[in-house]
Amino acid sequence: MAQAGNQTSINIPQLLAVALVGFFALRWYLSKPSSSSSAPGAAAPSQRRNQVDVTKIEQVASMFPQLDRRAIAWDLHRNGGNVSATTERVLSGRSLDTPPPTYQPIMPSQATNNATSTPGRNGRLKTGTGAQPDLITRYGLQSRVSGKGKEAMLSEEQMRNSWSPDKAARAEGLRKKKEEMILAARRRMEAKVTED
Amino acid sequence: MNSVASKRLFQEYKHLTTDPPEGITAGPINEDDLFIWEALIQGPEGTPYEGGIFPAELKFPKDYPLMPPTMRFLADVWHPNVYPNGVVCISILHPPGDDPNHYEQASERWSPIQSVEKILISVMSMIAEPNDESPANVDAARMWRERRPEFDKRVRADVRKSLGL
Repeated sequence: MAQAGNQTSINIPQLLAVALVGFFALRWYLSKPSSSSSAPGAAAPSQRRNQVDVTKIEQVASMFPQLDRRAIAWDLHRNGGNVSATTERVLSGRSLDTPPPTYQPIMPSQATNNATSTPGRNGRLKTGTGAQPDLITRYGLQSRVSGKGKEAMLSEEQMRNSWSPDKAARAEGLRKKKEEMILAARRRMEAKVTED
Repeated sequence: MNSVASKRLFQEYKHLTTDPPEGITAGPINEDDLFIWEALIQGPEGTPYEGGIFPAELKFPKDYPLMPPTMRFLADVWHPNVYPNGVVCISILHPPGDDPNHYEQASERWSPIQSVEKILISVMSMIAEPNDESPANVDAARMWRERRPEFDKRVRADVRKSLGL
């Protein structure tokens, strides 16, 4: 090969050198985030760098909309994509670590996500804290709160604790039970309010 | 694996229907998907939550009962152990094993011998007796600790509002 034409003898070693340098550069770059993480064991070589499953991030984010997606991604990245470990960590009151600035997870349309996530999160938080519909609205019981609840109470007695072999009947029974529970609470509260 | 979880959930549903604990109604939102339940929990008597009905959603993992469900209140619950987004923080909902922080004993955490019924009963007693060691809602915890009358008043107002009154 080396004795072949000038053109090729120069090109092939050059190509090889470029490939080799490129390979090492890539490896150095890939190993950087994991070595800076405090859990090197979690970032095993088999773990593809930064490739935290987007659905996993979403899963955690939907549970805890107050959390930053990047922090979620970082935590998932470090524990090997273990959703329950991240959830557990949040639930146990430990806050997620702030990801280093070098950590740029691949997230669905990250730019737009970042731009809209603040209002989006606040909006969702708001429905979680402020603007919940009351139970009467949630269960569509508006028409039944004004009436006297005598007959409803009777039917509640009848269907109580029965287990129907029919799926639809069971669903209906459960629905009625829930409605009756709410209506009974409403009646009691109404009585209490007029008492006060 | 799924069928084990489904069978177990179906059995628990049946048990909760035929022999429900006082003040608790629970079952799958749709029987075609036994992994999502809705539960109604009555506010415990003698607490500011008394008279209220608190709807919550339970989501079960595919490997239930090895792993616990998650629970989220669907209404505002101002409580030290309920996150502002409704997620309930209680040891029985934490995966099996020892707490790395040593706050909880393994026996308090989830294990397959627990059940939906036990979760709901635990949540009911959690509502009555907040645990402010590791609060999920820091503001609520602080108010509960330092300004109890204000806390009670706020909860009572929420309960009344939740019933449309």
